[in-house]
Amino acid sequence: MNPSDIFSLAYDALVDRKVRTILTVLMVVLGASLVVVINGLSAGQSAFLQKQLSSLASNVIYASSGQRSYYGGESSQASLIVNDVIANKIRTLPYVTDVVPQYSGSVTIDSYGNVQHVSVVGMDPTKLTVMLPNLVFVDGSTLAPNDRSAAVVGDTIANPPGSTTPFVIVGQTLKITYSYSDSTGKQQQEVRNFLVTAIMKPSGNTRIDNALVINSDAANQLLRKSGRYDSLVIQTTDDTYVNTVQQEITGIYGKNIGITIPQAFLQVRQQTAQGNAMFVEMIGFIALVVGAVGIVTTLYNSVTERIREIGTMKAIGAQNSSILALFLVEAALIGVMGATLGLAIGVVGGYAMTSFPSHTAGGPGGFGPGGGSISSFPPIFLPEDLIKVWLLSVSLAVGAGIFPAWKASKLSPMVALRRE
Amino acid sequence: MVNEPKPDEVNSNSTALTVKNLSKIYDSAAGKVVALDNINFAVKKGEFVSIVGPSGSGKSTLLNMIGALDRPTSGNVYINDVDIFSLNDSDIATMRNNLIGFIFQSFNLINRTTVLKNVKLPGTISGMSASEANERAMRILEALGIADKATQKPVNLSGGQQQRVAIARSLVNNPAIVLADEPTGNLDTKTGEDVFDMLKTLSHKFKRTIIMVTHNPELAESTDRSILIRDGRIDKDVIN
Ligand SMILES: Nc1ncnc2c1ncn2[C@@H]1O[C@H](COP(=O)(O)OP(=O)(O)OP(=O)(O)O)[C@@H](O)[C@H]1O
Ligand SMILES: [Mg+2]
Repeated sequence: MNPSDIFSLAYDALVDRKVRTILTVLMVVLGASLVVVINGLSAGQSAFLQKQLSSLASNVIYASSGQRSYYGGESSQASLIVNDVIANKIRTLPYVTDVVPQYSGSVTIDSYGNVQHVSVVGMDPTKLTVMLPNLVFVDGSTLAPNDRSAAVVGDTIANPPGSTTPFVIVGQTLKITYSYSDSTGKQQQEVRNFLVTAIMKPSGNTRIDNALVINSDAANQLLRKSGRYDSLVIQTTDDTYVNTVQQEITGIYGKNIGITIPQAFLQVRQQTAQGNAMFVEMIGFIALVVGAVGIVTTLYNSVTERIREIGTMKAIGAQNSSILALFLVEAALIGVMGATLGLAIGVVGGYAMTSFPSHTAGGPGGFGPGGGSISSFPPIFLPEDLIKVWLLSVSLAVGAGIFPAWKASKLSPMVALRRE
Repeated sequence: MVNEPKPDEVNSNSTALTVKNLSKIYDSAAGKVVALDNINFAVKKGEFVSIVGPSGSGKSTLLNMIGALDRPTSGNVYINDVDIFSLNDSDIATMRNNLIGFIFQSFNLINRTTVLKNVKLPGTISGMSASEANERAMRILEALGIADKATQKPVNLSGGQQQRVAIARSLVNNPAIVLADEPTGNLDTKTGEDVFDMLKTLSHKFKRTIIMVTHNPELAESTDRSILIRDGRIDKDVIN
C-alpha cells in the first residue's frame, strides 16, 4: 500500500467520526497549550527576574519598618520606628559605606490634566545610583538634591507604554496630590507643585521605572511622615559583606527591623517561580497524558467498531503492517492537529494573559526589589521549547496509537465473514 | 460422482484450484469439532462451482480455507499450482490480494467512502497507481451497469446494487478465483437472481472461475457443478 493511500484512508476514517475526532484533538490541544503557556510564562518571568537582579546593586541591603523582611525565606513583622537615630547608628557599623533613608507612598500626579497614580519616594536623588549603579538620565536632566520642589521621574511614568506623546518632559511642572485620612478619619488632600528636573532612562527595574523621586524633606512633609522613614538603603563595602552587615543589624534590633537582601530575595522568588512552573507544567504534562489516554480510547473504540472493515481489508489482501500503519497514522494525525493547534493557542494565550499589565504601586517598602504578579511579565516562547512540546505531544499521540493499532493488525480476516 | 483429483491434475494448466486431503478441526470449549474431514477436489479454470449442504456442514469453513483466511489442520490447497499454505502470512495476504476475489453475504463494503474507492481497494492494497486503479474500477463498474453510482456511498444503494459493487471489488485485481459465500443470502429472490445471473455471465462470458456457497437449490442447479457437503465430507459432486 502506498503511504499516500494509507494517509487518505486514515484521514477518511477520522473525518467520518468528526465529533469524536475533534474531542480527542481537543484533549491534545489542552495539554499542549497548557505546557506551552507555562513554559512561555515561566521563561518570561525568569528573564524578567534576571533583569531585575542584574539592574540592582549587589552590595545593598534594605531595612524597613513595618515591612516583611526577606533574607532567604524567613519573614517577620517589624515594629521599629526607623528614623535618623537608627539611620545614623547603622551608618557607624563596620563595612557600611552609606545609608540612604527613604520615605515612600502613593500619590496622584497631574500633567496638563492627564492623571497618573504612581508611587513616590522621598530621598536624595543623587543616591539613586547606590541602588542602581547603571542608572542614567535623559539629556537635560539635572539632579537638585536640596531643591524641595524638584522631582525625578521614572521612564514608565514619563513615557507611558502605548502612548505616542510623553506624559511629562524635563522643565515641566507636575501637580502632586497626596490623599490621606486625618486623625478624625476625615479624608484630606495635600497638593503641591513640583518641577521635573530629571527623567530616568529605562533602568531595568520595573519599580523604579514606575516611580517618582522627590526631595526627602518635601516627602516628609507631603506624605506626613514626621521623620519616620519607610526604609533604609544600606550600602556595604562590597557584596561579600552583605550577610555580615545583615547579621549585625539583626543583632542590634532583632526582629523589630525588616531586612531585605535583593539578591537573596530574587533568588528565592526565582526558585519559587521555578517550583510553581514545574508544578503547573506537571499538570500540563498530565493533561497531555490524559489526551493520550483519550487517543487510546478513541482508537480502541474505532478498532472495535471497524472490526469487519479491518477483516474485509485483510481478506482482500491488506498486510498486517498496512493495518498497523493505518491506525498509527490516525493517531499521528490527531497528535499533529492537536499539537499544532495547541502550540498556536498556547502562544496566543500566553500573550493574551500578559496583555493586561497589573500595576504594582509601591507600598511603604519604597524601592527595593519589586514584585508584580506572574502575568505582568511578557512571555518568552523559545522555538526549541515549542518544538519540544510539539514533538512530545505527537510522540505521546503515536505512542497511544500503538496498542489499538497493534490490536487491529492482529485481527483475523475471519471476522469479516462472521455474520452480525 | 465423487471426484478424486488425479496427480496429473495438480499441475495441469487448466486447473485453477486443487484441494487435497483437507481437514479442519476446531478446538472449542465444547470440544473438538471436525468441520472438514479429508476433502479432495479440483476446479477447472472458468468453472462455476456451487457448494451446497445443510447448515453447519462445513461449507464456509471450506471456502475460508480455499481463500486462506484460516489455516487447515492438515491438507493442501493449490491455486494456480501454488501450495498456498506453504507461504508465510505476509505472502498469503499478497496471494489473497492477487489471486482471490471475495464476495460476502453481507457485502462488507466500507460505507463511509464512495463506491469507486471501495471497488479500487484491492488495487490500492496491491500498490497499484491511483490512475490505473480508477480506470480498472470504472471499467468494471460500467460492465456491471453501476458506473453511475461510482461517487455515491454504498449505504445509499439497494442491496442488489451493493452486492454488485462487492462483485466489482472482487474483480478489480483480475483474480484466479472468485469466492462467494451465500452472495444472495441477504437479497430478496428477484434481486438474488439478478446477482446470480451476473456471476453466471462472469463465468460464461469472461471465463471466471467461481466457487459459490448457496442454500438455494435452484441457483445451485444453474451452476456448472454442485458439490454437496455433509458433516465435513463431500457427499455428492454433480455436473449439472
Ligand atoms: N471458529 C470456529 N470455532 C469453532 N467451531 C467452528 C468455528 N467455525 C465453524 N465452526 C463449526 O464448524 C462447523 C462448520 O461450520 P461452517 O460455518 O463451515 O458451516 P456452514 O456449512 O457454513 O453452515 P451455514 O450454512 O450455517 O453457514 C460447525 O459445526 C461450526 O459450529
Ligand atoms: Mg456458512
